[in-house]
Amino acid sequence: MRLQTRHWVFASLFVLIAVVMASGIRLSVPVSPETQRMYDFIDSLPAGAVVLLSFDHEASSLPEIQPITRALLRHCFEHDLRPVGLALLAEGTAIGYRLMQTTAREYGKEYGIDYAYLGFKPQYVAAILSMGESISATFPQDYLGRPYDSLALLHGVENYDDVAAVLSIADGSFTTHWMEYGGRYGVPVIAGVTAAMVTTYDPYLASGQMQAMVGGLRGAAEYEKLLGRKGGGGARGMLAQSAAHLYVILLIILGNVAYFIKRRRSA
Amino acid sequence: MEIGAVIAGLFTLAILTFLYRDNPVYKMAESLLIGVSIGYVLVITWSSTLVDLLFEPLFAQGALSLTLPLLLGLMMFSRFHHRMSFLSRIPIAVMIGSGAGVAIPAMLEQRTLKQMSATVMPLLTTSGRPDPAAIVILAGVLTTLCYFYFSREHKGMLGVAAKIGTYFLMIFFGTTFGYTVMSRMSTFIGRMEFLLTDFLRLTG
Repeated sequence: MRLQTRHWVFASLFVLIAVVMASGIRLSVPVSPETQRMYDFIDSLPAGAVVLLSFDHEASSLPEIQPITRALLRHCFEHDLRPVGLALLAEGTAIGYRLMQTTAREYGKEYGIDYAYLGFKPQYVAAILSMGESISATFPQDYLGRPYDSLALLHGVENYDDVAAVLSIADGSFTTHWMEYGGRYGVPVIAGVTAAMVTTYDPYLASGQMQAMVGGLRGAAEYEKLLGRKGGGGARGMLAQSAAHLYVILLIILGNVAYFIKRRRSA
Repeated sequence: MEIGAVIAGLFTLAILTFLYRDNPVYKMAESLLIGVSIGYVLVITWSSTLVDLLFEPLFAQGALSLTLPLLLGLMMFSRFHHRMSFLSRIPIAVMIGSGAGVAIPAMLEQRTLKQMSATVMPLLTTSGRPDPAAIVILAGVLTTLCYFYFSREHKGMLGVAAKIGTYFLMIFFGTTFGYTVMSRMSTFIGRMEFLLTDFLRLTG
């Protein structure tokens, strides 16, 4: 089979990203008002407040979800907040636990005291509504099979009244469900979402139904900058992403030029 | 090197071979990915749904009220039997009825009423100056609605408004497409980072 144009496009994009990433150059990105809003929101929560972290995503979105979650978790731990994880999508269950565990280790945080993980609950609508009545009844045990009441962190955490905010980490429409059903109980909803979902959630951010949002690799890089961390997953990817975008723009221009030349010749 | 990183690296390369053309290596990796994903979800669902929410409370703790959902669940399997398949309509009716009852008020409030009230905002700022954001939102909403008004031919003022509406729509679609490209590129960059750092160990 002969190599076609698309093969050259893929191969050159592959080489471009490999070279840019190997260069080790880190791109500094300006912080957007949306990311600043998330930082200020988390910063405004009192130390010791419980934040529900809902991993509402699939494994395929990990390259974007991981840097966003790490940045937000780092801020939570630095600020002595107590994140409690759960998953409304089965695929996010183990990923969420691993991310919480590894980030907590960086700060010497202890499971059951500084953070906890409740695991997966099917039927997201029923789960969100049920937690509004009783989180312990919804999750009688944590992810590791320990009884809810045996975790010191969860003493006194009965429903959304005892939760400072719900942070939905999503690659789809689950954050909307948190606003629709969790919003009924008045719990503030914040989100870390993939770039593809940013335009879906922007109207909710503008209307105030969502308190704050961080979107995509760029959002992660901005958040890492606010935390004063260099070389995070977001910042590492931003130069490659910018280079790839410039390359795509160049290809679009070249494609259009070629099209018009061809059309003129055929005329 | 971790065995997990080696396996993940080899499978990533196997998936990337599709960029050249469809081939047996790609097919094998794709089938394994789907199989593992379904197996993982099946195990999680079995343990956290059927065992935790039904079998354990019903058979070990004697929660007899769960007999009803168990029966409704079993009725779904009647679809496999031609003469008994009508029974499956009962759990489907319960699911759709309760689902709609829960969803409609919530969606109406959050997706329609709250969004509408956020759209209606003062066109002037507190200092009495025009608010450009509010004016753009008002113009965008009205002209886009004009585009979706099909009871009259798009001529005259309606035609002009509908035309402007299409520009607002195109800006939205363009932005969404741009973000989607960004998202897919991030996925590719994430895999590249894994290949270069964890698999090939070329970068630190």
